[in-house]
Amino acid sequence: MTLAEMNFFQRMLYILERYSGSLLRGAATTMAIAIICTALGCVIGFAVGLVQTIEPKKKDGLFKRGLLKVVKAILTAYVEVFRGTPMMLQAAFIYYGASSLFNINLGMWTAAIIIVSINTGAYMAETVRGGILSVDPGQKEGARAIGLSQSQSMMLVILPQALRNVMPQIGNNLIINIKDTCVLSIIGTVELFFTFRSISGALYTYFEAATITMIIYFILTFACSRILRWVESKMDGPSNFDLATTDMLAFTSGLTKYDEKKGGTH
Amino acid sequence: MEEILKIEHLVKDFGNNKVLKDIDFSVNKGDVISIIGSSGSGKSTLLRCINMLEDATGGSILYHGKDILKGEVNEDAYRTRVGMVFQSFNLFNNYTVLDNCILGQTHALKRNKTEAKAKAMQYLTKVGMDQYINAKPRQLSGGQKQRVAIARALSMDPEVLLFDEPTSALDPEMVGEVLDVMSNLARTGMTMLVVTHEMAFARDISSRVMFMSDGKIEEEGSPKEIFYNPKSERTKEFLSRFTNG
Repeated sequence: MTLAEMNFFQRMLYILERYSGSLLRGAATTMAIAIICTALGCVIGFAVGLVQTIEPKKKDGLFKRGLLKVVKAILTAYVEVFRGTPMMLQAAFIYYGASSLFNINLGMWTAAIIIVSINTGAYMAETVRGGILSVDPGQKEGARAIGLSQSQSMMLVILPQALRNVMPQIGNNLIINIKDTCVLSIIGTVELFFTFRSISGALYTYFEAATITMIIYFILTFACSRILRWVESKMDGPSNFDLATTDMLAFTSGLTKYDEKKGGTH
Repeated sequence: MEEILKIEHLVKDFGNNKVLKDIDFSVNKGDVISIIGSSGSGKSTLLRCINMLEDATGGSILYHGKDILKGEVNEDAYRTRVGMVFQSFNLFNNYTVLDNCILGQTHALKRNKTEAKAKAMQYLTKVGMDQYINAKPRQLSGGQKQRVAIARALSMDPEVLLFDEPTSALDPEMVGEVLDVMSNLARTGMTMLVVTHEMAFARDISSRVMFMSDGKIEEEGSPKEIFYNPKSERTKEFLSRFTNG
């Protein structure tokens, strides 16, 4: 039976039989790039967002204030440029720019990771800035008041709470990255979308190949969103807000027995 | 008597708004000073300036003779010696009760974990919160949170504790438990500076009372002098609102 004589499902099965290896490799590449780049993007985002929220102190000299201003301006430019241009063009710009201007031939992986990471970083920077600003200022005052330094307060008290605040956005970025790695096909990265194009190009079965590839993309993103939701609920701890008490006489509504071992109310 | 803090000509402006105008007083070891006065008289700002949460505009704050405003003492080290308890508790939401009391000890004082834990347990027991060491702040009532906040401040073994309206955010029924803890502290000789609207506490527990009005210390004296024989008209007017209301 030739491909033309098959029906839709038979063609899908045919593609799966012949190309399941390539599809899996493509999916793995896509996931690897998405996860690595979201992680690196978060690191960039936290660093940039952190600097953006530094307020100059009165005591600081002119040099320190000036330096902070210049660094902030550069970071703002970075955020605006990478948020404001298509990633597909950024990919072409960096990949071909590196080879024609500096004679550097970025490998497929290096180029892909650099591009998606700095793109994610630009989005995360703003998210992190918002996450830090949304932590109650009293938390910082509490930390400074017992003698923790500026950086200790940030690392031990503010950032962990900001991280919880931005978790939904990190998940969002991971899912966007899973899908958006498809633009890397412009520089020849063999990820899932590239695999789709190869299959559809070889067999002229666009509809069937697109269906299979879409299903794979959806499985990847859906699984990630569920996993991240689970991580968030783990970070939150028990979901009830009842007050803890060990006093059985005060054991009325709104109060639950406090469990010493579990540290919560159950 | 050993002088811990000496505040001289302290001035604080917020733009054109002069919140503190030439404040002078000193804190000796063992003093329990209550600062009373109407809202907006500068009480909290004074406390926040002493803890350097606000930058004073002028004057000096001498800690054992060294001016903290001129940077003669390391800011963070100074804060470990002069603790603060806030109106809104400011417990670290991402840590348990026990870790709230350990964090400052291990990171600011570089105590080891065992020693820090023992110290934290000692003070959590003192404020009656030792049973709740694994609870997160959000599971505690306001009064419980404030007791933990006091234990957190005490765990640093400070020389002076500053209280910024510690009971103002609490339900009336919880005010008592916090005031009890504070009274016990005062009796054990802790040096305290308390901004408060609890007149009974100011009258019965403190060794000295300062009445602030319009950014200045209007009157200062023993609780007896201030409450039963106030000299300034403003003090009389302020206190009459409490006794008649």
